[in-house]
Amino acid sequence: MSHDHDHNAPAPMVDEISDFEALEIAVREICIEKGLFSAEDHRKFTEFAEHIGPTPAARMVAKAWLDPEYKKQVMTDAIAASKAVGVDYLNPTGFGTPSDYTDLRVLEDTPTVHHVVVCTLCSCYPRPILGFQPEWYRTPNYRRRLVRWPRQVLAEFGLTLPAEVDVRVEDSNQKCRFIVMPVRPAGTEGWTEDQLTEIVTRDCLIGVALPKPGVTSNIELSVHRAAKPAHH
Amino acid sequence: MSQHDRTHHATIATGKGDPQCFAGAAGGPPKFKVGDRVRIKDMPDIFYTRCQVYTRGAVGEVAVVTHESPAPEDEAWGHVDKSEWFYIVRFKQRDLWPEYPAAFANDTLQTEFSERWLEAV
Repeated sequence: MSHDHDHNAPAPMVDEISDFEALEIAVREICIEKGLFSAEDHRKFTEFAEHIGPTPAARMVAKAWLDPEYKKQVMTDAIAASKAVGVDYLNPTGFGTPSDYTDLRVLEDTPTVHHVVVCTLCSCYPRPILGFQPEWYRTPNYRRRLVRWPRQVLAEFGLTLPAEVDVRVEDSNQKCRFIVMPVRPAGTEGWTEDQLTEIVTRDCLIGVALPKPGVTSNIELSVHRAAKPAHH
Repeated sequence: MSQHDRTHHATIATGKGDPQCFAGAAGGPPKFKVGDRVRIKDMPDIFYTRCQVYTRGAVGEVAVVTHESPAPEDEAWGHVDKSEWFYIVRFKQRDLWPEYPAAFANDTLQTEFSERWLEAV
């Protein structure tokens, strides 16, 4: 007879979950049980939230740079203009994308005014068109300091603005959501919409960077080459 | 059964969006227009507000009249029967932060208020 005291117990099938995850599951299951939304709705919301990113907002800016008529719509009714870049603010819920409001405003930079967005109260952000916030956008450090020392904080992002350019901070604290439309940079003459979309990075749309030909992402990830690469 | 109607918000906003579902709910035209000078009132707020302390008492200029919506101080408690006009107000940074450098005297900050927080200067 083997004794059942196993010194090599198998690892649990499910990792331990945090209190907040347990709370989310409990609330979600109650909502489904009460018929507030269905499990199918929840799956759709989750998939929606997982695939959104900043590309539609970048394309909106690129299109507006190229098409003055479209730009007029962007400046007066950005929610309607979002449809041209594939974002329907009323979907998938019918009354606004999950946990976001439907009043989008575009802040147009000029050669003498530069906009930058923050939410000092929490982390308000136009998620349907810009995806999820970068972690730094949610930090108390960014939120507290940007409103008071904007030029110093921008310099930390590598953006040093001359005194002739006025900095205008937008503290997004109510139901309006904001993206920044930077000035189209020199060196992009004759570029296509696709080419222009590539250089309008997420950071340019928040206002902590300026678009630059050749720069298509906010961070350079170092690539570790495989020691023994596979040959296909 | 709970007395609270949990689907009220979705019902009124479906097909329109929020804040669009409150259009016309303020019951009149906005009290201020773009360019008006306004002072932010320093009112007490209990439990919930979205009016930042750093703007209290400061004078700025209405930059945009945005939309109508219940004020967050009410909406936080589910009171959506009364709406107000909202305004984006532009301040000179030097009027918010005394130590803001004079070299950047034209730097500005904008943020939004419901009408109850504003008084004409």
